[in-house]
Amino acid sequence: MFGKRIDYAGALGFVAFMAALPLVFGGNYLIGVLTVSVIYGIWAVSWDFMSGLTGRENFGHSLFIGVGAYTAGFLNTTFGFGGWWSLPAAMIMAMVFALVIGLPTLRLKGPYFALAMLSGAVIMQRLMLIFWEQTGGEEGINGIEPLIRSQLGFYYFALATLVLVTALLLALARSNWGLILRAIRGDEATCQAAGINVTFYKIASLVISAAFAGAGGAMYAHYQLQVSPQLFAVVTSITIITMVYVGGMASIYGPVGGAILLVLLTELLRNFGEWRLMIYSCTLILILFFLPNGLIAPTWRRLRYRLGRPE
Amino acid sequence: MLEILIHGAVSSAIYAMLAVGFTLIFGVARILNLAHGSFYALGAYGAYFFTSHLKLPLFPAALLAIAVVALFGIFVEKVLVRPMRSSQLAVLMITLAVALVVEQVLFLTFGSEYRNVPAFVDAKFTIGGVDVGGQRLLALGASVTLIALLWLFIQRTRLGSAILAVSQDPQAANYMGIPSDRIFTIVMGLSAALAAAAGILAGPFLTVQPTMWLLPIVKAFAIVIVGGLGSIPGSILAALMLGYAETIVGYLISTSWTEIVSVLATLLMLVIRPAGIFGKRAAF
Repeated sequence: MFGKRIDYAGALGFVAFMAALPLVFGGNYLIGVLTVSVIYGIWAVSWDFMSGLTGRENFGHSLFIGVGAYTAGFLNTTFGFGGWWSLPAAMIMAMVFALVIGLPTLRLKGPYFALAMLSGAVIMQRLMLIFWEQTGGEEGINGIEPLIRSQLGFYYFALATLVLVTALLLALARSNWGLILRAIRGDEATCQAAGINVTFYKIASLVISAAFAGAGGAMYAHYQLQVSPQLFAVVTSITIITMVYVGGMASIYGPVGGAILLVLLTELLRNFGEWRLMIYSCTLILILFFLPNGLIAPTWRRLRYRLGRPE
Repeated sequence: MLEILIHGAVSSAIYAMLAVGFTLIFGVARILNLAHGSFYALGAYGAYFFTSHLKLPLFPAALLAIAVVALFGIFVEKVLVRPMRSSQLAVLMITLAVALVVEQVLFLTFGSEYRNVPAFVDAKFTIGGVDVGGQRLLALGASVTLIALLWLFIQRTRLGSAILAVSQDPQAANYMGIPSDRIFTIVMGLSAALAAAAGILAGPFLTVQPTMWLLPIVKAFAIVIVGGLGSIPGSILAALMLGYAETIVGYLISTSWTEIVSVLATLLMLVIRPAGIFGKRAAF
């Protein structure tokens, strides 16, 4: 009972902190950085829901992000739909892609899924360059309209979306559904023997994860006001995976913290521009070796234990 | 027609060299090595560095590059992969991280512009009215020779049979007195050397730049899925199929469609027969 109240207090404190930051310090630069960090939070939490819980690592989350962003771009510029259509459309398109890749690969055990997702993202990036007449090639699509004119307004919208997505996924992860996903991670054969339709749960989780990644992609497109093939790049996926690992796999709330922490940290390391990706990759290796449970979720658990003890 | 035959053979040969190494380390040590493409890139960059910066003649430079990459492969296996071997996911993560670090190191030292790897043979040959670069023919010949040598090595030598034994059952092999850990290291070195050789041979007629590891790993994966994970004959056959399919698509439709062939093949194979043509396990 008490533990739960501490969780709520922690979450509330965190949201209040994130909401207050731009009011206290102000400046469009900070708001921009915070918006990006919140969007990365959405991507990280959606990655963790599928891959963290079931242990089927998705090396091509950028595929869904890119699909969402390009859907938003095409709808908004080529077809002239209003900005708000982007979010549902992006979610649906990302779900379709998740089904196409998930159906053949998630039926199988082993590494097929991870590699197929990696290939899928690489090929989508190539396709965007090959069909440059339609997609704008290297330049991508420009001139996307913003969703909300005020930068601060968009930041609050993104933050609200992040809170909503995290709460939803956290609730799912703590329900029966999440329990089944964790069981699949532990022992797939036993789950099957217990009469659980393992394939259905894996594919449905991927579809859910893809939907939110696509929505995040659409938001990113409406924030940057342009999309480029770089969104599909493997480094995007790796950045997200690193964030999840820093946050703590399968904890759902951890990756949100990991994403925000890493985006803010890399802003501090801005002068190291070219070294940024190097730092990410090395962080990932170090975390894999020394902190396999991540940083944020274990820290929060320890803190909660301390706070809860006086009772 | 003859053009398709020759060019298809050349690209099949390069793919086969990549895929055989990729499938070998998986079949023997169950390591899915996402850094395999990096060995290929490092081979090409090594040849470039040793010839243009250290002014070595090409042949010793190529051998040196292969040796350095093989050592790097051994380092990756011993230091980074071994502690993670209990979890296949951790192996995937760590090798992907290695691939990105290699890409970044190449980017920071050589920049993102294309580099030229010198060709062994500059002459052009005409076969039945088709012009073929000498380097392409050399790549074809060399890769056939190297794969044949590897095959003989595995089938005919004591070390080769030890490798086969470990690939069938590492634990049982251990009981028979075969040090499987050392075998893993040797196989990783071999697989890295093969990838580096592919990079050096293909470097002169491909673009050499830091992200060049990525497409080869996607293709190697496609080939290995079609041929069956862990099966060397399967990956050779699949390399031939993919090499020719890409060449034919390139000639009939457009070269820009070739990239899609491999993905389509992968997805189709996973739907129809996940074990691949020669694979034994349906899904492990």
